[in-house]
Amino acid sequence: MAGPSVMAGMEACIPALRRYAWALLRDRQEADDLVHDCLLRALDRLHTRRTDAELRPWLFTIMHNLFVSRTRRARVRSGTERLDGWHEATLGHPPGQEDHLRWKDLVRAVGELPEDQRAVLLLVSVEDLSYAEAARVLDIPIGTVMSRLSRARERLRRITEGEPAIPLRRVK
Amino acid sequence: MSAPIVPDGRGVIPEEELHAFVDEQLAPERRDAVAAWLAGEPTAAARVRAWQAQRNALRAAFAEPAPPAPSLDLMRIVETRMRRRRRLPWAIGGVAAAMVLALGLGGAAGWMLRGEPANRQAMALSLLEQEAFATHAVYSVDKRHPIEVGATERDHLTQWLSNRLNRRVAPPDLGAAGWHLLGGRLLATERGGAAALFMYDNQQGQRLSIVMRPMAPDLATPEPQRMGGAVNGSAWIVGGVGYAVVAAAPQDEITEVSKLVRQQSPAA
Repeated sequence: MAGPSVMAGMEACIPALRRYAWALLRDRQEADDLVHDCLLRALDRLHTRRTDAELRPWLFTIMHNLFVSRTRRARVRSGTERLDGWHEATLGHPPGQEDHLRWKDLVRAVGELPEDQRAVLLLVSVEDLSYAEAARVLDIPIGTVMSRLSRARERLRRITEGEPAIPLRRVK
Repeated sequence: MSAPIVPDGRGVIPEEELHAFVDEQLAPERRDAVAAWLAGEPTAAARVRAWQAQRNALRAAFAEPAPPAPSLDLMRIVETRMRRRRRLPWAIGGVAAAMVLALGLGGAAGWMLRGEPANRQAMALSLLEQEAFATHAVYSVDKRHPIEVGATERDHLTQWLSNRLNRRVAPPDLGAAGWHLLGGRLLATERGGAAALFMYDNQQGQRLSIVMRPMAPDLATPEPQRMGGAVNGSAWIVGGVGYAVVAAAPQDEITEVSKLVRQQSPAA
């Protein structure tokens, strides 16, 4: 049953949903549209939600599915990979200029990750979802979450540090 | 997959566990074990530190607070959705929204947030409640003419109101809760239909109103919904009749009366 706690819980998730949507889309307007659609769909389905299910992963799942179908539609329309505006990304005003450059590099590097790796990395690193929750949100096995996370982190490290990737286990 | 860690700290920690270490998803014992192992593995430790730095930088980069988005105000989304679904004129949508706010997020939003039928139900309950509050506010304070037909003509009252509502409605016996029938009157609904008011009083001279009105047959609420406000009340729908109990009495008493009314209603 939808009670006050569910409404309050949904409200509390909005900043995280916006952050994730923005990280996926890199466009404030598009991101907020995605969150808006996600909230609407969640309201429509609130009565189908199992009460023991966690609200946050549930909302992320709805949003992820909307994102996937939207991206797919956009691809079909344009016949190509969508241009996501990552390279034009502007950030806020972090304290130091040096920091600003580093953040900008990092955010750009995240943008260069394949979409599936980016999603795992953000859900786990930024949104604090457990590996099991991330697996449910993305509808993939937990092993796939781990391998995508590993590839994302190594790729990001290579991009930002300009180092070649070395499989960890061979290093002794 | 998970190679055991030998006591002297050697052995291999699987990469999955190093990620879990970075993401703070390990149980305390495992976390300490991995930290101990890393102390003797400079290359792996450097890798883990790089991941940790990356994670912190990502969190900082994406932690930037987003500018406020009025379009993402949850209550506004709820309202807009209700209005659109019911194709209600703005005024009624506004009233419903006001009810949501008046009752607090909990109660009202609770019933409004289910699917389509629940929204109709929520609307119906809102209207019923408004009607009951207004009715109680107007008639319960009227010393001389709170009712049209008195309790001495109980049978006539029952017959008359049942005919006008085209449903069997009767004043419940609330003696067990200390309320005695004064009588009743015919009410008009906002849709031009007929509704019934039964008014009661107790030894302290307080008054209690029960409003009954026809409802669409598919509407039903399993439990009385608590109403807020200066006076207390509860409302529910069963068997094509909407019921509302209102009085300036504690909610417990309203609940007790509601139970009596439900027990005695024809559809119960």
